[in-house]
Amino acid sequence: MTEVAIAPSFNRAATKHRAVAGRKLRSSLGWAFCGICFLLVAAPLIDIILLVLVRGFSALSVDLLTQVTQGVSGGLLNAIEGTIVLSIGALIIGVPIGVGAGVYLSEFGDGRFGQTVRFLADVLTGVPSIVLGYFSYVTMVIWLGWQFSVLAASITLAIMILPYMAKMTELVLRQIPIPMREAAYALGAGDRKVVLRVLLPVALPGILTAVLLSLAISVGETAPLIYTAGWSNYLWDGKLVRSPIGYLTYVIWSFINQPFASAHALAFAAALLVMMTVLAINLAARAILRVRGG
Amino acid sequence: MDSAPTGLARSVAKGKGRKGSISPFRMTLIGLAGVIPVVIGAVLLFLVVYAWPAIRFNGIDFLLTKTWDLGNLYADPVPRHGVLAPIGATYGCLVFVAGTLASSFLALLVAVPISLGIAVFLAEGVKRVLRTPFAIVVELLAVVPSVVYGLWGIIVLVPIAAHIIAPVLAAVFPFIPFLAQAGGSGFGLLSSSLVLALMVIPVITITVFEALNRIPKEAKEAAYALGTTKFEMVFFTMLPMIRPAIIGAIILGLGRALGETMAVLMVSGGALNYMPTTLMSPISTMASFILSQLDSAEQDQSGLAVQSLAEIAIVLFVITVIVNIVARLMVRKGAGVSR
Amino acid sequence: MSDGTFAPRLTRAQFLKSVSLAAVGLALPGVVGAAQAAGLTILETGSSLLYPLFNLWVQGYSKIDPSLRITTQSTGSGTGIAQAIAGIAQIGASDAYMAGPQVKKNPTMLNIPLAISAQNIVYNLPGLNGSALQMSGPVLAGIYSGKITNWNDKAIAALNPGVALPNHTILPIHRTDGSGDTFIFTQYLSKSTPEWASSVAYGTTVSWPAVQGGIGAIGNPGMVQTTAQNPYSIAYVGVSFLAQVQAAGLGVSPLQNKAGKFVLPNPQTIVAAASGLIDSTPADQRISLIFADGEMAYPIINYEYAIVNAKQPNAALAKAIKGLLTWAIDPMGGSTGDYLSKVHFVALPDKIRMQSHARIATIAS
Repeated sequence: MTEVAIAPSFNRAATKHRAVAGRKLRSSLGWAFCGICFLLVAAPLIDIILLVLVRGFSALSVDLLTQVTQGVSGGLLNAIEGTIVLSIGALIIGVPIGVGAGVYLSEFGDGRFGQTVRFLADVLTGVPSIVLGYFSYVTMVIWLGWQFSVLAASITLAIMILPYMAKMTELVLRQIPIPMREAAYALGAGDRKVVLRVLLPVALPGILTAVLLSLAISVGETAPLIYTAGWSNYLWDGKLVRSPIGYLTYVIWSFINQPFASAHALAFAAALLVMMTVLAINLAARAILRVRGG
Repeated sequence: MDSAPTGLARSVAKGKGRKGSISPFRMTLIGLAGVIPVVIGAVLLFLVVYAWPAIRFNGIDFLLTKTWDLGNLYADPVPRHGVLAPIGATYGCLVFVAGTLASSFLALLVAVPISLGIAVFLAEGVKRVLRTPFAIVVELLAVVPSVVYGLWGIIVLVPIAAHIIAPVLAAVFPFIPFLAQAGGSGFGLLSSSLVLALMVIPVITITVFEALNRIPKEAKEAAYALGTTKFEMVFFTMLPMIRPAIIGAIILGLGRALGETMAVLMVSGGALNYMPTTLMSPISTMASFILSQLDSAEQDQSGLAVQSLAEIAIVLFVITVIVNIVARLMVRKGAGVSR
Repeated sequence: MSDGTFAPRLTRAQFLKSVSLAAVGLALPGVVGAAQAAGLTILETGSSLLYPLFNLWVQGYSKIDPSLRITTQSTGSGTGIAQAIAGIAQIGASDAYMAGPQVKKNPTMLNIPLAISAQNIVYNLPGLNGSALQMSGPVLAGIYSGKITNWNDKAIAALNPGVALPNHTILPIHRTDGSGDTFIFTQYLSKSTPEWASSVAYGTTVSWPAVQGGIGAIGNPGMVQTTAQNPYSIAYVGVSFLAQVQAAGLGVSPLQNKAGKFVLPNPQTIVAAASGLIDSTPADQRISLIFADGEMAYPIINYEYAIVNAKQPNAALAKAIKGLLTWAIDPMGGSTGDYLSKVHFVALPDKIRMQSHARIATIAS
């Protein structure tokens, strides 16, 4: 199924003899197809944003950002804080492991172990979030006695982003031409120096994209957190275990199922906040990159 | 091996010949890479141990039957097949396997060409100024929470599927039974696949776009020099160059489609005990079924219901493995042909 | 070439610095939160039907005991019971009492009724949504098992003399997620229709027979939305969502009760149904209120339960839980119309309330 789309066999000699006009036409049709593809996803996105904006509009206020949740009213400060804490937790655990694994796969991963890891990373993306959530619930929340906790939830999210980080890091690094590595070796650098000083800095923009995508995927999840983070109407007390924490996606899922219009507005406001938070992080990262790139 | 070896291992072997010694740095990397197998192993071990009574109870019928019935949870369980089971309990996951495979396959069928189109459009088709804002649009698509996709699906997509797409398909392809069902609520295979496609598109697009951006200028110029149009250059020279990245992206997207729960759950129509027959049939996917049934299953004191859900997770796991192997084989075969 | 690509090199120190700065900035709210003193915390989790009311109670009770931190979570009745048993949550909320085998295995778990809820049968028939189409258990069982497939079926016509029923396939909508609503709806079908009882029976999830045109929906709002989007559909929706049902312009069916009368859910018919069962309620309060005796009795009502372990880890926690639950069922506290009418629930009858008090009193450490 992939072949049809990506690699039409291409006979250069034959095309050369075709009429230039025909090729121009095909070319414009091709570009039109690409543009239409973009519109095909831009339209739903705009519609989704409008839906969220219109339905969440009545809940948008300063209270939203300064108050904690009281039942199904009040603000979402606790949930915003929780989402940030859990995301940072997930990134702290998941990114170093994911990038390290990605470096290994790209640079040393052509052996059997590398093939296995690469394969299992793909399998891991297919494990449903609810299964990971329930796994963490039985092992960490109950068996280890952590109860609902930041630690259990962050580890679960980290497991979720791990394969994305590893795979995307690998793909980015593989794009870096071999001569660059050889040049560095010729200058006497070891593995460590080549990776840390040459490869990772060059790959940084791509890795940041991977981090952002992972973040987006993990922050948008509800199912794994319901069984690991629980929920809290209060601000986080700073404890890593035995203390539940709030998060925005819970608000979306459970408030949308309430009979009150105010709860629905809060749910859509929470959806807006999730998207805005990740967008803000995204833009900030781009700004940092641009400043650095000069 | 589907990609040219570009790594340090190759450079090292070629350049310095110190293949034998493994530095502490390399050990660290091996350790980090080893986390993935360890996690997978832990989850799989957990699932198998947890689901063991269900595996014994269900036997092979689990894979071959389509009836899912928790049985009477309000009477004492009775021993059957050596396990205490609620009276009338039967578990079969065929419906969910069919729903998962059908929706993921259709989602990729839609998402792959569109993603490639967008990636090419972003990388080569738009002015530099517009590239970043347009890329952000695609990245935003990844940011939309799963539940919101589900809500949007119910409010917007499902009516479109029922009142526009289904009648049009039925009118154009009246001779293909799979496409020719005009009626229906809109909840089902088509809506699930489209929502999945929307969720998969950013994963594939972003990865491919990144790869396109990294193609050296020289390679592009060489392609131009051959006298191709820009479109031909992009599609027939640049895309093949990043083949490994494209394949990797598609497999990533496939994983996302197989494992997605909430959004699919909300628009799938929740089929139970019957197989999908047309594009408009309600379906259930394995992941969404586990999510929707976990709560009820927890009321089964015999534990068999939750254990059977864990068994679904194992089956999904095995299917993911098989699908990945098949995808790799297809890739390898395709690579052989086009070279 | 290598010049261009080597250019954006940033020293590791610079990179680490920017990352850690970002991390500190984002983590700040957490540090602020940590500074607050943590009091006693009660976790309530479970039923999505009881959740809105519990949230209203938490707001009210916080004025009485401001130091107590109560967190509510809508997860589902099964999860509520399971997490209360596991000791993860202090109060499990459930639309259904614990099953017999579950009670046997966990003898210290209490089933404490807090309020009474009910369910609407809603439908979407163009032109007929205002005419209160009457329904009965056997007819609904026929529809949901695929034996009655057309709106002009003579069984439906017999319940609605004089109504011009359309010739159109019926689309029965059921909940895909596990739900107390499914529990009480299927219990009504089971108690009124022996054939349903022996084939499908009841539960928070049942093995729905395959019906052409049947749709699974998620949550009560999903039920309302799906019914509204699909003319000729029928569904069951928790009574809390009456306002949404009316806003969507759907019809609400009067249901045939055990005495053969057709009644709509309202405080009178709900109380009438509950009061017939007061004397037969056992001490452990595990009883179904479905299909009760009485001319005025609405047939689909249920107790909303708090599932609590009688043995709590410490005395302070036991006292806090007792205080909260006692206040919740107090007619001067949480069981006033102010709270209940917002979700169309009804307060416990006096005798049942005394029973609940007795159960609450047994909570100790």
